[in-house]
Amino acid sequence: MDPSLYLDRGTWVHRLDPRTKMFLLIGSFVLAFVFLNPLYLLGVLAVVLLFGYLAGVLVNLRRIWFILVAIAIVSAILWSIFGSGRTPLFLFVEREAVTYGIGVALRIDITIIAGMIFLSTTRNEEVAIGLVRLGIPYRFAFAVSTALRLVPTIVATGLTISQAQRSRGLDLESGNFIERIRKHLPLLVPVFVTTVRSTNVFSMALESKGFGASPERTYFLQIAMGRRDVLVLVVFVLLLAGCIALRVVGGYGGLEGFTR
Amino acid sequence: MAEPEVSIRNLTYRYRGRKDPALDGINLEVAEGEFVVIMGHSGAGKSTLCTSLNGLVPHFLRGRMEGEVRVGGRSTREGRVGEFGQEVGLVFQDFEAQLFSTNVALEVAFGPENFQVEHEEMVKRVENVLRQVRLEGFEDRTPATLSGGQKQRLAIASVLAIQPRILCLDEPTTDLDPMGKLGVFEIAEELKNRDDVTLIVVEHETEETLDADRIVVLRDGKIVANRPAREVLQDVKLLEESSVMPLQVARFFHERGTEDEQLPLTPEEGVEEFERRGWRVSPERHRELVEADEEREQSYGETLIEVEGLSHHYPNGVVALEGVDLSVREGEFLAVLGQNGSGKTTLVKHFNGLLKPTEGSVRVDGEETVKQGIRRLGQRVGYVFQNPDHQIFSDTVADEVAFGPKIREMDEGEIGERVEEALTAVSMEGRGDEDPFGLTKGERQRVAVASILAVRPEVLILDEPTTGLDYAEQRSMMELIRRLNEAGSTIIVVTHTMWVVAEYAHRAVVMRDGKVALQGSVREVFAEEDELRDASLRPPHIVSFGNALGYPVLSVEEMLRVTEGG
Repeated sequence: MDPSLYLDRGTWVHRLDPRTKMFLLIGSFVLAFVFLNPLYLLGVLAVVLLFGYLAGVLVNLRRIWFILVAIAIVSAILWSIFGSGRTPLFLFVEREAVTYGIGVALRIDITIIAGMIFLSTTRNEEVAIGLVRLGIPYRFAFAVSTALRLVPTIVATGLTISQAQRSRGLDLESGNFIERIRKHLPLLVPVFVTTVRSTNVFSMALESKGFGASPERTYFLQIAMGRRDVLVLVVFVLLLAGCIALRVVGGYGGLEGFTR
Repeated sequence: MAEPEVSIRNLTYRYRGRKDPALDGINLEVAEGEFVVIMGHSGAGKSTLCTSLNGLVPHFLRGRMEGEVRVGGRSTREGRVGEFGQEVGLVFQDFEAQLFSTNVALEVAFGPENFQVEHEEMVKRVENVLRQVRLEGFEDRTPATLSGGQKQRLAIASVLAIQPRILCLDEPTTDLDPMGKLGVFEIAEELKNRDDVTLIVVEHETEETLDADRIVVLRDGKIVANRPAREVLQDVKLLEESSVMPLQVARFFHERGTEDEQLPLTPEEGVEEFERRGWRVSPERHRELVEADEEREQSYGETLIEVEGLSHHYPNGVVALEGVDLSVREGEFLAVLGQNGSGKTTLVKHFNGLLKPTEGSVRVDGEETVKQGIRRLGQRVGYVFQNPDHQIFSDTVADEVAFGPKIREMDEGEIGERVEEALTAVSMEGRGDEDPFGLTKGERQRVAVASILAVRPEVLILDEPTTGLDYAEQRSMMELIRRLNEAGSTIIVVTHTMWVVAEYAHRAVVMRDGKVALQGSVREVFAEEDELRDASLRPPHIVSFGNALGYPVLSVEEMLRVTEGG
């Protein structure tokens, strides 16, 4: 199994400049946090999903749906219980609290989905060169893209290790909360040891291939802002401005009557 | 004569915190265009020697260096690793860890990028280098989706793209199937024929070193031989003493008293020499061997594992197994062979319930594995994974071994008894208090085996138990497994190491594209050289030698037993 999220689909979204996509990513975060009303957030979600659909990367949702659902449920339940509002719904739960819980769930899920779409359409190297072109030093940009690479590698190692330990009889499913956490020790130690070992080789390989040998370097990937990038950015900035105006000036999309 | 490409004088290197030096007074010169192979036991200093070539020793690794290493006339002390990177390309043993890009082309371009190669030139280099390692057309593939052999070739390509004058490969074939190995050696062969590239290869498979100009043998950080390849390969005694596997044909003639200088090395040379000397194979004694095989087959017990019409499809749609029928009887020693991706590991992961059949059934002791569950099956079928570091987590060896019994809630006395028993079985008795992370790879492998044995499974599955071990360690690991088999355990080994199969296994199953291509006694299977080649496998030299004489034998000892004359 390929542990990385990136899908080499070659759509126009993939071909956008990484800087454009970074802007879109941050913009969608802003959108998610401008609104609180779930109805408006559903609109934002629809935009994000449409974008993912156009990029042909929504299949990756299958890999993260569990996290999305878990976050949604936990958030909806916690806020319903601990938040308070004006309109009683049942028992001690108020309507505004439930709505707020759903809103927060949508916010978090939108940011995760947007992140997923970004990583599914942008290579680590593109992230790096995008950051470099934005004026960030290559070493830092490389560290970011290496961190992005490390996560799927660790997940893959973790899967193998979990198979090895389950073969020895490790049962992660039973026991109370504390017990279960303790049971993860046989997974965590080997993951840590293996990762440290391979990181050591990795850094030697980097040195040997001249990483940081000179302050300047050239790039195999060539990125440039094209007409398409400009178009996408203009459309998106208009959308963003419209939404902010709607919220701040018009006062729509908020949530009345919710208190903590 | 011009100054040698590499010149090492009195190099001694001691890693910080270690008492014994990793390298001890090394003197070595390598001329431009030479092909030098470095051999030696685990911990002999081979990898350290490699890292001293581009300045990782002393600049990157922590320790104390004495003496001098000069590359292209310049001391490695004088420049940084990055500077020497342009002269010395280093490919590390762990190829997984050195690939990090999201596609093949970018992986290859990384080096040239760092050395500020112009874009146009870079594109050209990527294209050339990929053609050289036969990965053209793979530019857009993610390295993670490549096979082991392809990954290793990519790692080599990523270094070649820097156009170093010296290429140093540290055990480039350790983790590869025979086909993958061949691919790497073809590249080495081409590089060897170029006068402008100096090739230094650390290798433990003696059969692959025949083409070298020179072989350097290290032992405990010292050079014990530095002579033309042929001469070293004929020195059977020296190789054995250095924990390096001697060539089997050479050893056969050596044991029969042939002078070192006359030792044939390859099966072809062997057959010629055998006939020239008028030696013969005794048909009677050979029949005794075959009869012993048959007798052993009679002695197996009940059927333990029964596989019927097994197919397995991975979630991404890949068909890993298709219509596999197989049975394993009590007391057998079965080897599962095949190239990477042929379905070997997928097959055996069904035996302990790690994977469930998409179609067909797998029964252990007459009951479907699906019904038994992995935990209960673990009592009957133990599975030792390839990399011991994927399972070791305890502070002491004893705790690690006690994990299985403890999790099955046995009482203290019972646990202690089993730990002792398991440690004795792997010849590590009395070492229960040691820290497993301080052990050598071979010892960690033993701890992993012991931790499975402590549950007393009837069947023991071992995935590549000899990978990454030197010859002496491989021998002792396999002797251990043989003892377990003789004591009643049923053994299933998944492996690429052909001589291990020939000498230790009873029966072999050859997998190819998810199907069983060949199965039978090891002797029968290894007699079918053509079919094996179709499955990208190659029997060990002594087997080929016997086959060429018309008598399939499995080891040097067997060959000695059936040979008459002279």
